[in-house]
Amino acid sequence: MSSYALEQEGEETLNPIPLTLISFQKCTLGCPILDSFFNGGIPCGSITELVSESSCGKTQLSLQLLLCSLLPRSHGGLNSTSLYIFSEPPFPFRRLKTLSATFKHPNPSPSFDPCDHILVHGVQTSEELLEFLDRVETLISQPLIRPVKLVVLDSVAALFRSEFDNHLADLSRRSSLFFKIASKLKALASKFEVAIVVTNQVVDSVGLEGLNEVQVGNYSCLFSSGRKVCPALGLSWANCVNSRVFLSRDEEKVADNKMWGSNSQALSENGGFEDGYGDFRTRTRRKMQVVFAPHLPKFSCEFEIRRDGVFGVKP
Amino acid sequence: MEIWSLPFSPSQRAKLLSAGYTYLHSFSHLSPSALAAGAQTAWDILCEDRTMNHITTSCEDLDGILGGGISCKEITEVGGVPGIGKTQLGIQLAVNVQIPVEYGGLGGKAIYVDTEGSFMVERAFQIAESCIQDIMDKVLQTDDVGVCQENLHVNAILANIFYFRICSYTEQIAVVNYLEKFISAQKDVKIIIIDSVTFHFRQDFDDLALRTRVLSALAQKMMKLAKKFNLAVVLLNQVTTKCTDGSFQLTLALGESWSHACTNRIILYWKGNERCAYLDKSPSLPLSAAPFSVTTKGIRSVASSCKRMRTT
Repeated sequence: MSSYALEQEGEETLNPIPLTLISFQKCTLGCPILDSFFNGGIPCGSITELVSESSCGKTQLSLQLLLCSLLPRSHGGLNSTSLYIFSEPPFPFRRLKTLSATFKHPNPSPSFDPCDHILVHGVQTSEELLEFLDRVETLISQPLIRPVKLVVLDSVAALFRSEFDNHLADLSRRSSLFFKIASKLKALASKFEVAIVVTNQVVDSVGLEGLNEVQVGNYSCLFSSGRKVCPALGLSWANCVNSRVFLSRDEEKVADNKMWGSNSQALSENGGFEDGYGDFRTRTRRKMQVVFAPHLPKFSCEFEIRRDGVFGVKP
Repeated sequence: MEIWSLPFSPSQRAKLLSAGYTYLHSFSHLSPSALAAGAQTAWDILCEDRTMNHITTSCEDLDGILGGGISCKEITEVGGVPGIGKTQLGIQLAVNVQIPVEYGGLGGKAIYVDTEGSFMVERAFQIAESCIQDIMDKVLQTDDVGVCQENLHVNAILANIFYFRICSYTEQIAVVNYLEKFISAQKDVKIIIIDSVTFHFRQDFDDLALRTRVLSALAQKMMKLAKKFNLAVVLLNQVTTKCTDGSFQLTLALGESWSHACTNRIILYWKGNERCAYLDKSPSLPLSAAPFSVTTKGIRSVASSCKRMRTT
């Protein structure tokens, strides 16, 4: 929705938008625990960023969202086609196929294939992305049975990793590109009530005075796999997104219960508690935290990745 | 006696002529203040200042360093890192300006210009509900509960926030130019919030001098609106890093010249795990800091129980 309105005389006027008409719509994530973490789901009309190191579940969660947006409104979906823009080829087609096999639409037509409603496009540079976003507007404004209501960009960091050095001129050019991209995405989001999800990577936080040390959001430090990390692309990009959610993973040593019960004498003889390969097994614990969001408090939530998707774990 | 024949300097003569005085007797009886049309004595300004309206932020400490709240007739800039609570403060002010006069508010309406899409209606709903609840709690001590309940309703509060969503800097300039006409028609607007004034100006401006000119024109218009309609203007700004002598410093965006445009400046920052607000620029108040928190109810003071723990 835009504030511009064209009156009959051809004169443009600016009208405030009544708050009751602004879309409350959210896209479910397919799991009630995750939905309550997000207070209903991913909101339309703004950019939600998922930040994590690799193999934490960003792409999984994005693919799951692509499918969930197909669900009808009554089931928390957007009844929409979705658009997946990827910058790190190849497109994870096999995983999408696996997820769509277990995906259940409440009223499917006989030839219903979820993958028919997912549009995919690859970009390699930020210029390509900007040019594509101009074309996307034409695409979204076309009247389809299921209009596009979800756009996922996976990932934004990959577009900027290689072509910029650390010179001041390059940094300001890069920063200007962030705002251009964010501005186009937000214009799409607000004009067509689309939910935008952007994924981002992390960089190690070295501990020197400087850019990485500014606290952005609810947590002064973010940890993943035991290292202190911070989201890539810096403070400028942080100003461009509306909400940021951090996904992390940690290997946790859990005592192997089988060994404890029987033969404890053998354990102490082995003395295996220091290194513990024999006596402990490691378990991956995954957590998502709200770094900042205008509508979410400082929540965190544990989740797991199963064959049929990403699901929250009850505390 | 005509002005031409009097020994005035050319510039003084030109000013008198353009004000319409051609003969000596037309202005010889006027007092200096009448001749300087529009000038006020300092005493008049002081009396006006004493009656100036403030919009509460719902946090007593923050209100304290601001002299009662956000002042009308002035531009207040609020800047901070993402996630510190700028939008939350903006929404809180848009709700608080509507507190009826009998409960200590201004009973006015709000204009919210959203350039980033951070305004979430559900959050405004929450904050409005809590504001009404706070008023009801205070009112329970008197007998006016019934009247209060009738007049205050969340939907009415939301309806009194005029929300503009703009997607480019040209739209931003257009809205600011349009506001005078809009406010003259509405008559009750007491606060204009722009969230954020920076976003669309951080791209595409190869000519920074043009950007500075556009921004100062914008600031001038907002100042004119503030003074003419006796309302408060709150501009939310982002932070960026400035490279000085090889080291990076955090500073508000839009450059040095923009920093002169606002009457007051508040910087929101993290102090450990607590949010703090620092009054960085003010013509009449001392520069000081105050802690605040963002709760489900909106902006509030840091819980008083925490305060007691810290002092012991």
